[in-house]
Amino acid sequence: MDLDKLRETAAEVAARDDVKYLIGWEKGSYGYRVAPAFAEDADGTADMIFSPLCTANLATYLTLVEKLPLPRGQEPDNRKVALMVKGCDSRAVAQLLVEKGIHRDEVVVIGCPCPGMVDPALLSEKYPETEEIAELKWSDDGFIIVRNGEETAVPREELLAEKCRLCRYPNPVVSDIMLDEPVESWEPAEDEEVTEIEGKEVEGRWDYWQQEFSNCIRCYSCRNVCPLCYCQDCILDRINPSWVFRSVNFSENTAFNIARAFHLAGRCIECGECERVCPANIPLGKINRKLAREVRDKYGFEPGLDPESEPFQASYKPDDPEDFIL
Amino acid sequence: MSANNEPNIVAFLCNWCSYAGADLAGTSRMQYPSNINVIRVMCTGRVNPLYVVNALQQGADGVLVSGCHPGDCHYMEGNYFARRRLGMLKDLLEYVGVDPRRFHMSWVSASEGHKWKEVVEKTVEDAREAGPFEGFRRRQIDW
Ligand code: SF4
Ligand code: SF4
Ligand code: SF4
Repeated sequence: MDLDKLRETAAEVAARDDVKYLIGWEKGSYGYRVAPAFAEDADGTADMIFSPLCTANLATYLTLVEKLPLPRGQEPDNRKVALMVKGCDSRAVAQLLVEKGIHRDEVVVIGCPCPGMVDPALLSEKYPETEEIAELKWSDDGFIIVRNGEETAVPREELLAEKCRLCRYPNPVVSDIMLDEPVESWEPAEDEEVTEIEGKEVEGRWDYWQQEFSNCIRCYSCRNVCPLCYCQDCILDRINPSWVFRSVNFSENTAFNIARAFHLAGRCIECGECERVCPANIPLGKINRKLAREVRDKYGFEPGLDPESEPFQASYKPDDPEDFIL
Repeated sequence: MSANNEPNIVAFLCNWCSYAGADLAGTSRMQYPSNINVIRVMCTGRVNPLYVVNALQQGADGVLVSGCHPGDCHYMEGNYFARRRLGMLKDLLEYVGVDPRRFHMSWVSASEGHKWKEVVEKTVEDAREAGPFEGFRRRQIDW
């Protein structure tokens, strides 16, 4: 992608009178770090980038922002928020529109067709991080790592993030401005990990997940980073009634993980952020993708594609499958 | 599971069909297992899927949710919503390794006393086969 064009467009949008701020990516302070950038005017966009390191889903910030009650006599600031989106991020925006978490006239969506992101953990494992700021670029058949002034070409398969191997929508599904020509979608990989767990016996699955869930420290990062976990009154924060106790043990960890996954059934757009931020490396994607698979195969529904569609769990079809009912 | 190795079942019944169906089974003096602890709700659409998870945490070995047949819901469509949500929950529970025999859903109308009996028998039998679900208990159980 042409960075000059990106910065030019971003500067134009950020300078608009009806835009409060623009959210994009910029280089972090060291190594492969990329940080979200918030630009209130054209100057703030001068360092914005779009590279294979821009994994973060910026749609989270649409709902993460705290909406405090206004002091008396103060007018609400109704200007729009502009943000850059990849394919998966745009699905989060579409799903937020479906749920009326945001309204179409509150956002300016700048679409970045996405050739695929690297897996940050894999990257720093294979090509250790440097103190100097390193860069990544796309080449025709992979990535180019620029570290300490040296370029290393890496084949795409080696570093491509899992969510990107499985990605079906690399091009933004909603956007006001497109920064580039759409990329050619690739054949999404088979989701073998989910199939593998499905193939286990019940006890094997229980043991597998108990092993994983027992590492959960209940930091709720997975909830906070998720663009679609934005209930103001989250059941996890509730004390009375207390849906899930705060104690960290098998029972509560499992209940919490079931609750989180279930609340995202038919809503999760598989951006992989929850799994990326989990400090305990719990493969949350394997639960999310399982539910997404059920929703797709059994109910013929895919979230985050059509802003006009009905939310999955708040709608029904008279002929929904009911073979499990006695 | 109680001392005599009998499974505990929590059943959420909708007020209009299944609860009346269970009532009918009672007034017709049908014999069926007494392991079932009935919680009456106004509609299956009102059953938060986390009720099921919570019941399992708090000492149930099996959970049953029962409501009106599709099309017969007192509130027109509550059971359709329930079917979708609880169907998803069933898949999720199975995926994380909860024995599928621990959670059932059924349609029992107010006139189906005999069906209620069959459903309870099946639920209790399944939970008994699956055994006590100690792995998922909260530390303090107030049964
Ligand atoms: S999931 Fe798709 S859109 Fe999202 S980062 Fe990966 S390739 Fe891009
Ligand atoms: S981010 Fe990971 S450790 Fe933290 S609450 Fe979520 S699953 Fe648990
Ligand atoms: S649950 Fe995870 S993968 Fe799904 S939308 Fe939320 S952060 Fe993205």
